[in-house]
Amino acid sequence: MRWLRSISNRLSNLFHKDTVEQETDQELRFHLEREITQRISHGMSPEEARRSALLEFGGVERFKEECREARGVNRIESLLSDLRYGLRSLRRSPGFTIVSVLTLALGIGANSAIFSMVNALLLHPYNFHNLDSLVRVWEDRGTQEGFDARFIAPADAEDLRSTNGVFEGLATYNYQSFGLGVEGDVLPILGCKVSANFFDVLAVTPAAGRLFTTAEEQPGADQVAILSYGSWQRRFGGDPHLLGKTITLNSRAYTIVGIVPKDFDYPVPVELWVPLALTPAEKADRTQLSLSALARLKTGISLSQAGAVLTTFSRRLEQEFPKTNAGRATSLLQLRKELYMFTLPLFLLLQAAAGFVLLLACANLANLVFARMIGRQREIALRAALGAGRARLGQLFLSETFLYSSAAGAVAIAVSFASVRALRTSIPTGWTKWVPGWDGIRVNGSVLAFTILAALGVGLFLGMATLLHTSRVELNKTLKETGTGTVTRTKRRVRSAVVVVQVMVALILLVCAGLTIQGFVRLANVYQGFEPASVLRIEISLPEKIYTDNLKITNFYQQVLRGTAALSGVQHASLVTNPPASNVDSDTTSFTIEGLAALKPTDLPSADLQIASPDFFGTLKIPFVTGHVFLDADNVDAPRVSVISRSMASRFWPKGDALGHRIRLGAQDSNEPWLTIVGVVGDVRQNWWNPVTRPVIYEPFAQAPQRSMTLLLRSTSNPTSYASAIRDVVRQSDPAIALRGINTLEEEIADSIAIVRIMGILMGIFGIVALSLSSLGVYGVLSESVAQRTHEIGIRLALGANPRDLMKLILGQALKLTGIGLLIAVPCAVAISRAMASLIFGVVSLDFAILGGFTVLLLLVALCAGYLPARRAIGVDPMVCLRYE
Amino acid sequence: MSKPTDLVQGTLDLLILKTIALEPMHGWAIAQRIRQVSKDVLQVNQGALYPALHRLEQQGWITAEWGESENNRRAKYYSLTKSGKKYLQSEQANWERLSAAIGLVLKTA
Repeated sequence: MRWLRSISNRLSNLFHKDTVEQETDQELRFHLEREITQRISHGMSPEEARRSALLEFGGVERFKEECREARGVNRIESLLSDLRYGLRSLRRSPGFTIVSVLTLALGIGANSAIFSMVNALLLHPYNFHNLDSLVRVWEDRGTQEGFDARFIAPADAEDLRSTNGVFEGLATYNYQSFGLGVEGDVLPILGCKVSANFFDVLAVTPAAGRLFTTAEEQPGADQVAILSYGSWQRRFGGDPHLLGKTITLNSRAYTIVGIVPKDFDYPVPVELWVPLALTPAEKADRTQLSLSALARLKTGISLSQAGAVLTTFSRRLEQEFPKTNAGRATSLLQLRKELYMFTLPLFLLLQAAAGFVLLLACANLANLVFARMIGRQREIALRAALGAGRARLGQLFLSETFLYSSAAGAVAIAVSFASVRALRTSIPTGWTKWVPGWDGIRVNGSVLAFTILAALGVGLFLGMATLLHTSRVELNKTLKETGTGTVTRTKRRVRSAVVVVQVMVALILLVCAGLTIQGFVRLANVYQGFEPASVLRIEISLPEKIYTDNLKITNFYQQVLRGTAALSGVQHASLVTNPPASNVDSDTTSFTIEGLAALKPTDLPSADLQIASPDFFGTLKIPFVTGHVFLDADNVDAPRVSVISRSMASRFWPKGDALGHRIRLGAQDSNEPWLTIVGVVGDVRQNWWNPVTRPVIYEPFAQAPQRSMTLLLRSTSNPTSYASAIRDVVRQSDPAIALRGINTLEEEIADSIAIVRIMGILMGIFGIVALSLSSLGVYGVLSESVAQRTHEIGIRLALGANPRDLMKLILGQALKLTGIGLLIAVPCAVAISRAMASLIFGVVSLDFAILGGFTVLLLLVALCAGYLPARRAIGVDPMVCLRYE
Repeated sequence: MSKPTDLVQGTLDLLILKTIALEPMHGWAIAQRIRQVSKDVLQVNQGALYPALHRLEQQGWITAEWGESENNRRAKYYSLTKSGKKYLQSEQANWERLSAAIGLVLKTA
């Protein structure tokens, strides 16, 4: 508390300066009077007593000054006067002030905007209690090809829950789409089936009502629902008496028992949660990895400890259930980390790029400040001659740079507010609603603190740079000079170093921007193997309680397909389980090739499984390689057939004789039927983030019907105009069925890479800013140094120097500095591009065209920056040059 | 009378703090008290006393208050703060250790 009093003392001294001065006066006068009285009482005459007392006391004014110093008034006063002086000198040169404030504001603002994104998405994606202890748990075959979906078999999850010693709780869940009955209509909504302890594991308490009970996990007792806050507001108008009321989901009545807090949207923003009620048979299932699982680690258990326990667990299951669990491994990953697996490197790259932009802005400003300082050398020398120490001068410069860096910080806060808004609105909400934390992107306390710290750091850095530049002023020499002042060799070297750094940073930044944009362009073209134009996609999901058998499912879909194909302008209509660009991986399946039965279950090959109706390949124009695609005759009564992808054919039948072979899903002794391969089609890129072309097995829909399918149609005109017609077609078959995800395939593709596109655009902006900042910087320094050599150039010209040689000299200097910068930057850029290639899909390491192009560009900029001022200097009449002072 | 000993730098603070530890005092009385107690050996440079007092006040070891003096004049009385008391204790301990050490060296060397 002592420092608090010290500061308040100082301030009150400052504000009550006059009173304090008077009091000091009074205090000293009192002392002298007492001294005099004492002397008189010792027998001195009043005159003598006064004289001797004053003599002994010493200079009153000097002590007053010392008292002032002791009270610390002086330091604050001088700081204030420095700030006032700084303000005046900045007002005198408004151009400099505006340029420097805006440059810095841009640099700082870019950093705050990106930081607000990183802060919200990476650091606070969910605001769960103790987020670090939450993990996702899943099983796979240990041989991940690309990115498999993370699921666990129900019976395995149950075992894990009851035997492990590392989890506080383990919850399972599964998405489920529902048709919500509202006044005779059915609205499609997405829900989630969760185990009763789901909310407990996440440590979420309901905003109203209660959570699920274990009893509600029983089939039949599960007709209760918990609503999301948004759904409660949107669909039920925030009805305060909603709890206990019933709603119709997939034609069943559910009682609403609770409402979750506003910001809760795990695992994705769903509208409601219902209990995951598995039948005893479903619970005992070990073959299908059908559930998602999440768990909370016990306190004190590390990820590696948990990993070790899971390994032992899988090994035990493998021994107990070799038929289903052979080769199956259990893995875990922190909830936080699962999210931005694909985009994390992009975020970090953006933050680094923003940092580089700020560095460039600082370098430019340092140059401007240096140029100003040369003009102020005489002032500085005068101040030094009058007794200003280095600390005092430092305070002067620091207060000046702090003035404009804090102005820049204030502008930067405004800039970051604007850019955060732009950032949030520039990405389609249809995509960002799946990005946890996206709505949390805002300029909050930590972003403001970040901005202020950045501004202060920049101020300190620039002040220090200035001080470094003005140190060792040669008083005598500078004061005697009549001209605008001279530049010593050291100072010129400092400024040359700034140019070198600028060129360096600019090249690195440009290469990064170029690579990212190129990567983005590559991603945009990554969906190959089909033609997305003029295709509409509609997701349909049939309720399992009503569509209980395959016949009902097949009848429904056949009717819808016939109705769709009959619409005028529709060329193709088909069904598929997982259309391209769905951002979801297809189900993987292991399979056995007939005649290769000796394989152990662990060595079985695996492939993606797609169910498609005959016209699927025609709808997407997937090229047909050999054999034939499905026929309408391949129905439930016909022999089972399959079509495989080209990469599957070439991997397992490299001689090209795949046709006619038979495969079976699962192991050799599984109950699945043998499928005869009747055709081979081209490969299709499923999702942008999965770079591996996976083998695909297609089964005809008629032989393996599924409740959830995506309807695809190719039309001659605008495909979106068919949405309502399709709705009518579906309603004719079953009015209770809800349609979801109605979109053109092209837009779906654009949405799926939206985040990458935004990143590309941001990097492009950073690249352009970097290029212009560094061009300005190089130009500024070179033209400044040429201007300072005008006198010297005049003498050289007067003495008969060849203008062309002079031009060469100046250009040579420009090229030398740029060349050094580029020489240092090229290996850095190569290293960075290599790192980027390993982190970001679509980026190819070391693109020589990009590297070479930008190197030449920067050299050209340097040549221009040298040429223009040099031509001006040489064009001037030598006599004018000589007189020029 | 031999020349009064100049106060070692920093010891003036200690003397001031010790002197006003008993009761609040004004500047003149502090100077008088130090001289009396040290039997005229330590003479406080009266001019230096006030900057020292103001500095100690600034640092928060002491506070000042205006009051009536013994001859009915307004005078500024200084007294120790809580943290000043602690500071005095630690400084006094330091000083005793230092002077004992110096005495030890002088005796044995």
